[in-house]
Amino acid sequence: MKYNKNHRFGMVIDLDKCTGCGSCMVACMAENNVPFRKDESNKLLSITWMRVFRLTNGEPFPKTDICYLPRPCMQCAGQHEGHSPCVSVCPATATDYGIETGIVSQIYTRCFGCRYCMASCPYHSRYFNWWDPIWPTGMEKYLSPNVSPRMRGVVEKCSFCYHRYQLAKEKAFMEKRRELKESEYQTACAQACPANAITFGDLNNPDHAVHRMVNPDPKHGGRPKNPHAVRLLERLGTNPKVYYLSSRNWIRQAGDNHLKNEAKIKKPVHHG
Amino acid sequence: MKIGRRGFLSFVIGGAAGTALSPLPWKLMDDTSIWTQMWPWTPVPEDGEASYVNSVCTLCPGRCGITVRKIEDRAVKIEGMRGNPVNNGGICLLGLSGLQLLYGPTRIKSPLKRTGKRGQGKWDRISWKEAVSMVVEKLGDLRSKGRAHTVGMISGSDRGTVPHLFERFLTAYGSPNFFRMPSVRDSYELTLHIMQGVQALPGFDFKNADFILSFGSGIIDGWGSPVRMMRNFSAWRNTGAKVIQIEPRLSNTAAKSNKWIPINPGTEGALAMGLAHVIIKESLYDNGFIADYANGFDEWKRLVIDKYDPDSVAAITGIDAGTIVALARSFANASNPLAICGRGDGTTPVGLSDCMAVHALNALAGSINNKGGIFAVSDLDYIHWPEIEMDAKAAVGMQHERLDGAGSRKYPNSRYLPNRLPEAILSETPYPLESLFIAGVNPLYTLMDTRPIEKAFEKIPFVVSFSSYMDETAQRADLILPNHIYLERYEDVPRPIGMLQPLISLAKPVVEPQLDTKHAGDVIIQMAKGLGGSLANSFPWESYYSCLKETLGEKWEIMVEKGFWSGSESMTKNLETSFDTVSGKFEFINPDSGSAVQYKPVAVEGDRKSYPLILIPYDSIRLAPNSFVGDPPFAIKTVDDSVLKHNDVFVEINPKTARVAGLREGELVLLSTPIGAGKVRIHLFEGIIPGIVALPRGLGHTGSDDYLDGKGINVNALIGPVQDPDSGMDAAWGIRAKISKV
Amino acid sequence: MSTLDDHAKEMIEGAAHETAASQSTEGTIQKQDKGAGGTIILFFILGMFASLIIGWVIFPKLLYSKKKQPIDFNHAFHVTQVDNGCESCHFFRADGTFSGVPKLDQCIECHEEIQGIDPNEIKFVEDYVSKGREVPWLIYSKQPDCVFFSHAAHIKSANMECVTCHGHIGESKSLKVYEQNRITGYSRDIWGESIAGFKKNTWDRMKMDDCAECHQKESAKIEKRGIKTPTNRLIDDIVHVVSPWALSTVKGSSVQTERDACFVCHK
Repeated sequence: MKYNKNHRFGMVIDLDKCTGCGSCMVACMAENNVPFRKDESNKLLSITWMRVFRLTNGEPFPKTDICYLPRPCMQCAGQHEGHSPCVSVCPATATDYGIETGIVSQIYTRCFGCRYCMASCPYHSRYFNWWDPIWPTGMEKYLSPNVSPRMRGVVEKCSFCYHRYQLAKEKAFMEKRRELKESEYQTACAQACPANAITFGDLNNPDHAVHRMVNPDPKHGGRPKNPHAVRLLERLGTNPKVYYLSSRNWIRQAGDNHLKNEAKIKKPVHHG
Repeated sequence: MKIGRRGFLSFVIGGAAGTALSPLPWKLMDDTSIWTQMWPWTPVPEDGEASYVNSVCTLCPGRCGITVRKIEDRAVKIEGMRGNPVNNGGICLLGLSGLQLLYGPTRIKSPLKRTGKRGQGKWDRISWKEAVSMVVEKLGDLRSKGRAHTVGMISGSDRGTVPHLFERFLTAYGSPNFFRMPSVRDSYELTLHIMQGVQALPGFDFKNADFILSFGSGIIDGWGSPVRMMRNFSAWRNTGAKVIQIEPRLSNTAAKSNKWIPINPGTEGALAMGLAHVIIKESLYDNGFIADYANGFDEWKRLVIDKYDPDSVAAITGIDAGTIVALARSFANASNPLAICGRGDGTTPVGLSDCMAVHALNALAGSINNKGGIFAVSDLDYIHWPEIEMDAKAAVGMQHERLDGAGSRKYPNSRYLPNRLPEAILSETPYPLESLFIAGVNPLYTLMDTRPIEKAFEKIPFVVSFSSYMDETAQRADLILPNHIYLERYEDVPRPIGMLQPLISLAKPVVEPQLDTKHAGDVIIQMAKGLGGSLANSFPWESYYSCLKETLGEKWEIMVEKGFWSGSESMTKNLETSFDTVSGKFEFINPDSGSAVQYKPVAVEGDRKSYPLILIPYDSIRLAPNSFVGDPPFAIKTVDDSVLKHNDVFVEINPKTARVAGLREGELVLLSTPIGAGKVRIHLFEGIIPGIVALPRGLGHTGSDDYLDGKGINVNALIGPVQDPDSGMDAAWGIRAKISKV
Repeated sequence: MSTLDDHAKEMIEGAAHETAASQSTEGTIQKQDKGAGGTIILFFILGMFASLIIGWVIFPKLLYSKKKQPIDFNHAFHVTQVDNGCESCHFFRADGTFSGVPKLDQCIECHEEIQGIDPNEIKFVEDYVSKGREVPWLIYSKQPDCVFFSHAAHIKSANMECVTCHGHIGESKSLKVYEQNRITGYSRDIWGESIAGFKKNTWDRMKMDDCAECHQKESAKIEKRGIKTPTNRLIDDIVHVVSPWALSTVKGSSVQTERDACFVCHK
């Protein structure tokens, strides 16, 4: 019997195409039973597994430029596969790295809310439930049974819609298959994106679009060979699985921190 | 036996030992910890069989196909329909939030009759029978008094069977007063009517365009059909087509386009004329088209050459002459250039002369009815109903002129001018409005300068709303007949404006109606039957369902299954038969006024001295400004904290302007215009022309829900309408304003 | 006992030199002490006995509330009436999800009308079928919401039998009483028939440890054959989370469970 090779599910986000419309954020909230509150304008407390950041180049009028940057969980592999910043610090074994998929998982019921993982995540991808989730009367009707609603006091984050992987696999098992087609497992954000800016697939599979788009270099922890592709904070060595494409230099520069004499372009200003 | 201290202790120790040897502490600890992990008040969504229903989203004019995921009888997720000609799988954040509108607590649960004063919020629940008979009685009374023409109706759309039923009802009843809310579509319709002599909708061949010159159109900010436009935009990224965005503020479209050219607000028409000047002067225009198919070119040419040289235009628009010349050349030299207009999301009309100037550019470039250009497309003709039976009262009523003056001698070509209603109602000229029906729109929020509209509403004795939500307009109604929402009802939905491919989508009940609501189509049929006579005869259908099924005929089956019916793309490339003007050619001369296409500035309210700044509204798709519903909780959650913080909206201002006025980031200030004032916070933004400030549309709602109410202010309440003398439409693009510290 | 006696003797002898009063006092104490030793033990035993009774007998009774199913159901009989065993009623949907307890729609296929004379069937048809109401079955093996369990992976892919986890429910003639944990709200069948956590059969309990136990065995088998597979790794991981000591060697540079992740069984 032949077994699966390991996958490395990842995402490529084309920042030239991203319109900043926010559909990915809502697609994620609707898919993953993310709660909402009356005032969500404090973005440090606002739970958004997928969050679209707004960057500007800091230049004065009329040279100013805006770029939107959607940020899911980067599903970091770390220097040695599995040494994700968050996974290595969790004292409760509530978060873990999956070798089979490359996805960092989180058991909400196991988490006891120390928030160590949040402190260690360089991408602010993790969110804490400061309040019980409350849906207005009647609205709990739309909750999906595929993702369990989280309770107060636990940390949650993007799962690359792992439940969709599970459901796709169940279907494959029914059809006596073990392999999934590229289209069978897609995240909610990639599926919804009106601009087709988000591409999702297996970075290990040369037939998948994500592999073709960034051409990851396995010798250097998957660093993109495509010169227009960057990963956020590449030099931190977190080995993330989300790649960004941009034709604009200042945006690619904004993807990492630079020393003063190193950066030829003015450091971007981050909003919100 | 006496129990001493030692004995007791011994007993306790024995008890403790026994307890330790029993499962009690361990099991209790285990269970308690599990209890803490699974608070009983955390909802557990019920599992079941998954199914999918194809339908269409009607929350905005975009008309995206949707596939709704259901678990048993619950709808759990809305997704974009793959293979749909409009959106092919993509979906915007408003569409994704639809289930919050379906299951949310803000819906109107049954027919309501007002008991307190208007707008006081006191209602009585009444039965449908009672509600319909109330309407029938009122309408019957007016009709018998010969005042049938004083009944009006405002609808969100005039296409598809439901708006047709509304219009049919009014005609059979005897009133010409059917109104549709205005948008840039009206500017285009008028332009096509005047310059090409056709009654048609604009259709754009975006797929093949390779140079898109956008006069402020928020191509990715909600203009036209938002998801479709975003897909076009991404396709242009692949094909290498250029997008040039001309507007005063760095919108998302401007930021994503190949070039952003800031322009003084309201001067887009002047730029179009300036570009025409360069194109004509340098003979870059499509000679074949101009020679064979254009009328009045020479007269127009003289005007353009005389008045719109780059330097004069530079003075008006604030764009330097060199840029204008370069832009004109690259536009004219592109293989398939296309110029479009309609500011922001296109829900407000633009001045007719502006739209005509932009259309004239397309003519110069040979992009009329040509590959990658603009086409005049006639709406799909699929509604064939028996002749309306007109009795004497209906015939008399229909002879009255329309209350809004559309189609009158002053505005012969305009079809609907609801922006003129407040004035007409308040002055009771030509006659008072006795009753108003409102369906699928929220004019008390969306029309510019809301105060006179509120006052006008006070004057209408009987206001009926079909709204499913207690929006600003429904709050001031006398009777609410709540419609099913789009996820609960059948309705045919014609293709979005701007699309070439013939398409009719079908909204289907995804779930059973959740509340005591009724299909507006059914209510209209029941009203007609209640009034009897010729009205009842004009509505021979048993129900809306049977009417729709009969109307769609053989398309019905395929629409139920797929969710839509589509035909092959129709592009009339035959220019010989394209123009139905007197000359039979494309007109550079407006036959109504006899004057050539030119720039007519739309002067907005306020004097420069007391109001040194200019306020313009902007559209962000995250605030759903083009919808008749307020932003749902999911969507409002995505709004940046540089747009909304707690309950305060930010006004965007150039740091240079702010420095002069001594304003700091985040400062609370009073923004006032000649129309009104509101408290806002300062956001320093380099992407806006100094001297101009911008506020987003879509905030400042009342009576929607806890997640939106009281947040920000309604920018429409700060801007006054400016009537376009050519069309009668509201062509306001902003207003003069000032900012004072509080 | 001799030492104790000797000690007492010494005490008495020593006491003789004391005053009468003190002698008598000493004697009383001595007597009391002698009786108290037994009492203390008695009390100890009493306390222990009582708490053992509470812990082993009363506590379980208090911990679980007993609920009766709305109607009784004869699995054994139904199995003889269908062609496809368990899967006739507890089937897989086309999308690979498991249907679980049948809905009314399925039952109606046979029970549109009353078929026999069983009072339970009559009640079922009259109270549920004819009224179109779903039967509010109490589900013995319902896992908490945080658990994702793929029947397809076990039945369709790994070819396991239903009996392995669900026991011989298919041979039962009536439904047992449903016992619900008052604290957690879960069925006793999940949390284990035995309050102490002992189990005889694979289906006696359905906790995480029980998944791990079986997966560990399977893992060992595969390991012997020298195959390294993701499934195999997953097994190790579960074991590692449940009982980290069970794996003798911590492999490689493991951070948490070493590899595959919680999402495999949790949602």
